[in-house]
Amino acid sequence: MANIALGRYVPYNSFIHRLDPRLKLFGLIVLMVGIFIKFVNVPMNFIVYGLIFILIAMMMMVSRIKFKTLFKQLKALWIMITFLLIINTIVPNSGAIAFSIGSWNIYWNAIFQTLYIVIRLVLMIALTMVLTSTTRPLDLTYAIEWYLLPFKVIRFPTHEIAMTISIALRFIPTLLDETYRIMKAQASRGVDFVSGKLSEKVRAIVSLIVPLFISAFQRSEELANAMEARGYNPSGKRTRYRVMKWRVPDSIALIFVVGLLSGIIVLAALKVDFVAIIGNLF
Amino acid sequence: MPIKFSDVFYVYSPKTPFQFEALRGVNIDIKDHSFTAIVGHTGSGKSTLIQHINALLLPTSGTIQVDDMTITAKEKVKHIKKFRKHAGLVFQFPEYQLFEESVEKDVAFGPRNFGDDEKTALDKAHKALREVGIDDDLFKRSPFELSGGQRRRVAIAGIIAMEPKVLVLDEPTAGLDPRGAQEMMDLFDKIHQGGTTVVLVTHDMNIVLRYASDVIVMKDGAIVKVTDPLSLFEGDYEDYNLEIPNLYHFAKLLKNGGYQFDMRNIRTIEDMAKIIKGGYHRG
Ligand SMILES: Nc1ncnc2c1ncn2[C@@H]1O[C@H](COP(=O)(O)OP(=O)(O)O)[C@@H](O)[C@H]1O
Ligand SMILES: [Mg+2]
Repeated sequence: MANIALGRYVPYNSFIHRLDPRLKLFGLIVLMVGIFIKFVNVPMNFIVYGLIFILIAMMMMVSRIKFKTLFKQLKALWIMITFLLIINTIVPNSGAIAFSIGSWNIYWNAIFQTLYIVIRLVLMIALTMVLTSTTRPLDLTYAIEWYLLPFKVIRFPTHEIAMTISIALRFIPTLLDETYRIMKAQASRGVDFVSGKLSEKVRAIVSLIVPLFISAFQRSEELANAMEARGYNPSGKRTRYRVMKWRVPDSIALIFVVGLLSGIIVLAALKVDFVAIIGNLF
Repeated sequence: MPIKFSDVFYVYSPKTPFQFEALRGVNIDIKDHSFTAIVGHTGSGKSTLIQHINALLLPTSGTIQVDDMTITAKEKVKHIKKFRKHAGLVFQFPEYQLFEESVEKDVAFGPRNFGDDEKTALDKAHKALREVGIDDDLFKRSPFELSGGQRRRVAIAGIIAMEPKVLVLDEPTAGLDPRGAQEMMDLFDKIHQGGTTVVLVTHDMNIVLRYASDVIVMKDGAIVKVTDPLSLFEGDYEDYNLEIPNLYHFAKLLKNGGYQFDMRNIRTIEDMAKIIKGGYHRG
């Protein structure tokens, strides 16, 4: 039960922890774009995925994330993988047949498509984990707010959005604690959240959800009152306790991710094929 | 059979940066039919300790014996429901765990989970609700229409209706007005007289003096003293940064002023008044 909060901020002081949240958010988006680029052929795709995975694995090591936590998050993916594979095999396909079950043909294409999606998912989850476990949620909202600043011109409520996000983020751990607390209280009354028949499970969930919602509403009302009592004005000009500072390592990291993405795009656009190149060498 | 903790350690979030050792080698015996108070500063591990009594938390190492059942670290616990049924645990601010559409249904929830049919469960619920002082005409109301104090009573009735052999209470009087707290404590006292073992976590030394038969003092996840209220307040309560009960404070002032009397049988204001009236002279 205590493992609900996977991927949450872990207060180490690694190189990646110290990077500017704006850079980290930008890097996340850039690398995600990189993950979705397709290359000239199948081996090439896997080679680039492999390289990106090595890069992410290095980032995980630097920011001291255990691979075990990643695998724990991936456990839930099994159902999805099976589902994707089934969908992909049902949809009419062409190309080489991998194998047949009776008159049912399974194409290599279907298998590769499924693999691509799974690999991309795993890479994205790993990347997001690097971001969320090395960046304070509040810093992340500051970064989002910073990116939204230009939209202020068109009267987009940048600050209000950022405040809403940071409050939501702020209350995730609180709500998790609350969930945990209510689960224990109901378990003391004989509720079994793990096993039991379906009807029992439904009752178990209801006994958790209702108190959780009630306390969440109560909390939000109290928070709103407290903010108003202290004269919170959404349109007021505000200063910050922690000011974001762009440093040299941030610039280096920026050049690195932009360079990486450019490299990937070039590889894809020029239809570079490592396998063929190596083949030609010999 | 008593409750016995042998060398119990408990670690929150082990092997993560949030790792925290909340219990460090706890050895205690809670006697049958005792009224055991657990005291100590916030964060000393009281709540963690009591959650082991009904197997909500399982020890990282050590063993816990409750009745004829044993919990050992690393061994899968069988019959976990038996633990839950044996010891009813009332959390702090239990009023936030209500969810049913009517008061009686909410109280009957526990008995139903332990296999009672609807009629039996409702009978138990009604009995428990009357015991905690909820009027019959509130039984069919929504628990969310009640006052905070009433809701807490309903939540406590929800545990009492399970008819546990041990009633474990985590700061049940926190946030109640003095009169509500007094009524609540009298209720637990009555339940205790009925033969139930009561384990009570509290910060209120007046309550400890008035009701407890045994006191366990905790500090930083360890047990630092096992005693009874009179010896504690006669002796070294100050060493553990505990408050003095009002009655003892008053008595001390009297003694400083020259009154001589025996504190051993004084637990309530009435006891005190009797002794003073009984003609103790200025020494
Ligand atoms: N879920 C948890 N995760 C990590 N640490 C916890 C958790 N719950 C309690 N603790 C820590 O364990 C210690 C003991 O807590 P607790 O048993 O609640 O103490 P008490 O009830 O005496 O105030 C505290 O320092 C608290 O911060
Ligand atoms: Mg506590």
